[in-house]
Amino acid sequence: MKATIKHLLVCAAIITTTSTTAAIAAKPTPDMNKVFHYQFPVAETGFDPAQANDLYSNTVMEALFEPMLTYDYLARPSKLAPRTADLPVMSEAGKVYTFKIRPGTLFTDDPAFKGKPRELVAEDYIFSIKRLADPKLHSQWRYLVEGKILGIAEAIKTATKSGKFDYNQKIAGLEALDKYTLKVTLEAPDFNYPYILAMPTFGALAREVVEHYGIDIPAHPVGTGPYRLDKWARSSLISLIANPVYRGHVWSYTAQEKGDEELVKAMQGKLLPTVGRIEIAIMEEDQARLLAFQSGELDMFQLEGPLAPKVMNGAVLKPEFAATGAKLSRIIDPEIQYPYLSTRDPTIGGMSKERIALRRAIFLAYDDTEEIRIVHNSQAEALDYPIPPGVVGYLPGYRSVNRTNLPLAKALLDKFGYKVGADGFRTTPQGKPLVIKYTSRPDSLGRQQEEMWQKTFNAIKIRMESDKKKFPEILKAEKACQLQMRTNRWIADFPDGDNFMQLFYSKNIGQSNNSCTDVPEYDALYEKAMVMPAGPERDKLYVDMARVLEYYGAHRISMARARNMVMQSHVMGYKKHPILLADWLYIDMEKPKGEKQ
Amino acid sequence: MSSFILRRLWQMIPTMLGVVLLVFFLFSFVGGDPAYLLAGKISNKEQIENIRTQLGINQPYYVQLWIFIKQILTGDFGVSWATNEPVSHIIATRIGPSLTVLIPIMIIEAVLAVLVALGVAYVRGSLTDRAIMVICTVAMSVSLLVYIIVGQYVLAYQFGWFPVQGWGESFSENLFHYSLLPILLGVAVGIAPNTRLYRTFILDEINQDYVRTARAKGLSEHKVMLKHVLRNALIPIITNLMIYLPSLLIGHFLIERFFSIPGIGREVILAVERSDFPVIKAITVYVAAATMLSNLAADLLYKAVDPRVQLK
Repeated sequence: MKATIKHLLVCAAIITTTSTTAAIAAKPTPDMNKVFHYQFPVAETGFDPAQANDLYSNTVMEALFEPMLTYDYLARPSKLAPRTADLPVMSEAGKVYTFKIRPGTLFTDDPAFKGKPRELVAEDYIFSIKRLADPKLHSQWRYLVEGKILGIAEAIKTATKSGKFDYNQKIAGLEALDKYTLKVTLEAPDFNYPYILAMPTFGALAREVVEHYGIDIPAHPVGTGPYRLDKWARSSLISLIANPVYRGHVWSYTAQEKGDEELVKAMQGKLLPTVGRIEIAIMEEDQARLLAFQSGELDMFQLEGPLAPKVMNGAVLKPEFAATGAKLSRIIDPEIQYPYLSTRDPTIGGMSKERIALRRAIFLAYDDTEEIRIVHNSQAEALDYPIPPGVVGYLPGYRSVNRTNLPLAKALLDKFGYKVGADGFRTTPQGKPLVIKYTSRPDSLGRQQEEMWQKTFNAIKIRMESDKKKFPEILKAEKACQLQMRTNRWIADFPDGDNFMQLFYSKNIGQSNNSCTDVPEYDALYEKAMVMPAGPERDKLYVDMARVLEYYGAHRISMARARNMVMQSHVMGYKKHPILLADWLYIDMEKPKGEKQ
Repeated sequence: MSSFILRRLWQMIPTMLGVVLLVFFLFSFVGGDPAYLLAGKISNKEQIENIRTQLGINQPYYVQLWIFIKQILTGDFGVSWATNEPVSHIIATRIGPSLTVLIPIMIIEAVLAVLVALGVAYVRGSLTDRAIMVICTVAMSVSLLVYIIVGQYVLAYQFGWFPVQGWGESFSENLFHYSLLPILLGVAVGIAPNTRLYRTFILDEINQDYVRTARAKGLSEHKVMLKHVLRNALIPIITNLMIYLPSLLIGHFLIERFFSIPGIGREVILAVERSDFPVIKAITVYVAAATMLSNLAADLLYKAVDPRVQLK
């Protein structure tokens, strides 16, 4: 633990030095002729950090609002870095975090400020965090503060009873020690809380702006970020313009991986933002995105799986595509896909040996490399460990004992009495019909995955029943532990293994443990790990936990998808970040030929 | 006439009630619980219940139904559950882009289809007639999706005659720049079946006695076709156009999605994906009302084009 604190403080010192350079640098002079054209495949919903519940709105908000912390652009695994505040000072063994907000950070101009410059202060963060807890806003991020920050849970209870959240009340865990110092006290130690505070959801809003615009606040995002909202045609076009009062940010990162040197050479020392305008169009169709990119209407786009055969040759661009000057930045997403079999299900759940054998046999029979090839067009990577690459705690080289092995699957079923009946399908050891109900969404991915599972069940002679449900219905059934089997997916909220290991903790059933995994041995290990900082000791526990899950056959950790960002040759300095959503904030663009650089 | 209109308006009430009940029960029992979507990926029972209370979906069904009826009567459908945008604003801002594309499609398609149908009916049985009918049969057998995918790829990307996609801020830019290809494809898709249909209507009239009489009077073929045949064939043509009219309200979601047009069709799909009931019910009610009103308008137009028609 001491080592972690020391590490944090050293990081703080190093990065504070870098940031001080940024703070004293001249104001940025973004070139208004540089327009970065980007796209989203799904429409945004609005730009209120408390209310927005979709990836794309959060991406835009990362450019408009500023949490106290961010991530080092090039560090892998991802590492926290200061944004509006220095890295926090941790005390009381991970229970208290004290942030020093940098003076001089201004909100972008807005009529709510009545013509006066408005400086960011600690109270703005307190107000913004309180909004996450306001039941009226039904923020989907409430779980990040409720039961975490001291006093928030009580405030929510009072507000639910009275019907109104009192923003003037003192919350024990949120204290402004002075204008620029914020002390956050947690209910229990949590070494990951600084990661949570770096999420776009924790961006600062000014109270007077929220009160000025009322329920229309999602259309009036007034923040301290490098851009401000210029035009917004809902579900069509989001136009951001460089924030004239933004303090600037010096591109100053160290090369970590192969290929980083080129980025560093091109970008080191530049004062961002240099791009004057960002235009984000909503393009739902794959073909429209690809053709728009090829015609030069887009500077960068995210290549989805269905388009991969047209553009990619495995993990690289096809030669004819690369010949146009297009560049690729590719990562394996910090996510896991995990088919699960409910341990609480009356047919397949429980901890008896024959039930464990049944579950493990089903997972052993599944060939996820085939799913990667057929369903994901080879744009995914097989995983064995519950923590994906790019996340603290990832263990390369780990091998699951439940890897694909069809003969072993059949042998297990035979050994534990799952005999093949006259109809050609297996029965339970008690001679009753054995049917597994596989639930999926009625979309193309759901259909394809269901077909893969149907093939698997046919191979081991188990009857499978298809159960198609709309997404809200799936969520509802999962929360009530009513699903027998489904393929689930989880993408990192923050880059620490705990964000994944908590998925299988039985006390999270009804919340994030959608598979209703209930394994006491796992719980005991998790409770030990959750109060430990990242490090070899915790990693050892994580390995034991992964093995417990494998032994009981609750899940099969299957794969993580690749994220391919394809960009034009004139986009400089871009590298896909596993956690940052608006990582295009770190780019520059070459000017058209004939213009001076 | 006025008593006919009043009677028809009165008859719309039970029809509308039927639509309201159908939409309400479909959404309540099949649509899924939006509270689970809105609560996000980690939520607890209390949060979900709190959202259900705020949305009003934990109230007895009769209360929810009464609220729905009141919304129809006041025209205020509240705000979108997904975006907090007032539903009236959603419809007001998305209908424009849809109409910018769909009205030209409807007008151009109708005019061209009537003219071509008149032409081929005039030379019925000839090689030209047969060739055009074969082309129409082939053209109407191809899915709209194929027209869009090929049209966008060849005409916009390969030839560069049109933008691949997009939408601007001014009406003229949208109509004369971004909408041209969607309009062209929309017309190409619709013209074939309509030409065949209108040709049949016209041929029905050409064989009537009054046409023979008109020719016997020595009227030119031009006059016979335009003044007599076309006028009488207009009733089924108007019916066909009027059936199409309410669909303008729900847009053309495929065209809108492929060409990134921020129209009402895309919004409907988004609302269904998000279980956004206020948007779905508002659009359904408006489309039902528009269908009934356009039927009424069609009846009134029959009277205008053919004085023999009696409105009862």
